[in-house]
Amino acid sequence: MKCSEAVSQLRDVLRGDEMIVSSNGHISRVAYHFLPRPQLYLRGSMGLPMAVGLGLALAHQHKTIIVLTGDGNFLMGLGSVTTISYLSPPNLKIIILDNEAYATTGGQETVSTAIDYPSMIQGMGITAVKSTDPHEAKDKLNKLLEQTICEPGPKILHIKIGKEMIPLDYIPWHPVRICLNFKKQHNINSKTEEKNDV
Amino acid sequence: MINLDEFLEYLDSLGFSLGTGVPCSYFKDLLLAINEYDDILYVPATREDEAVGIACGFSLGGKKAFVIMQNSGFANIGDALTSLVQLYEVPLLIFISYRGLEDDDDLPEHSLMGKVTEGVLRAYKIPYWILMEHRWKAILEKALHKMTQTSLPVCLLVKNGVLCK
Repeated sequence: MKCSEAVSQLRDVLRGDEMIVSSNGHISRVAYHFLPRPQLYLRGSMGLPMAVGLGLALAHQHKTIIVLTGDGNFLMGLGSVTTISYLSPPNLKIIILDNEAYATTGGQETVSTAIDYPSMIQGMGITAVKSTDPHEAKDKLNKLLEQTICEPGPKILHIKIGKEMIPLDYIPWHPVRICLNFKKQHNINSKTEEKNDV
Repeated sequence: MINLDEFLEYLDSLGFSLGTGVPCSYFKDLLLAINEYDDILYVPATREDEAVGIACGFSLGGKKAFVIMQNSGFANIGDALTSLVQLYEVPLLIFISYRGLEDDDDLPEHSLMGKVTEGVLRAYKIPYWILMEHRWKAILEKALHKMTQTSLPVCLLVKNGVLCK
């Protein structure tokens, strides 16, 4: 299964009001081309998409926040899994697209093959973690995506994908434009003085 | 010493409802005070760049967060600043303890960072102020004005004994 195919399946379970944070490189480009726009496409800040997603989840506790991350990015920001576990935001969903490689920089290997993702993540305190691989049926992935996105609780879904990437154009929006579009989509006034309800 | 309750009430009155960071002993009393303060949630981060990411997400959600760290940890946030906060023009208030000055320049782990902290801030083009006890509110106002005007991060350097009981 290609990254774009997994992300296309995610599109099928979205309600439309979710906030999606995509990680730098190929995954943000896939999110731009295969998911409803606009979303929060990160172009740098390797290792931080889960942290950004956590901040959004705390700011908007009634919205579902989905973080799309590759295995390299996830492992770099692994500490955030423990922070998420500690806070347990029910509206935060992490999807790991694991191709065992830094695909964007030429397919160099990550250390992903050494890891049992569900055991590791459960040990960090997030029990709602599922894993699937490309050999499993498409409808199983669909069901797992639906459980991850639609059921309450912090959840992590680990999806093994293939290394092959389809060529995609760069996101044409400058990051400042990405923010403006994202805020407009979710009626976020950047000058708001409103307090959060924590 | 700045009255910590007044300090937090002031941040609260400006709409700051989340703090996150990695501790420094210079912030020991402040962090205790935040934990007792009902209207500001404090998130203990695993790393300083994670704290910047959390604050950034909160801010992109339209709310206000501040970040706390030691200057040694400031050395961990270069990419978070340049390829997230500054690139996406996210206003962010950062408090950095100013270790490695006369109070603890005999501690080798702080001495070099103490010497280069302001130079590194200038290199990253982060406007900064040194927080002073006697006119802390005016300094903070100036920093926040800059943050809002530019939609970029600003930094307050905090020396020993300034933010404590």
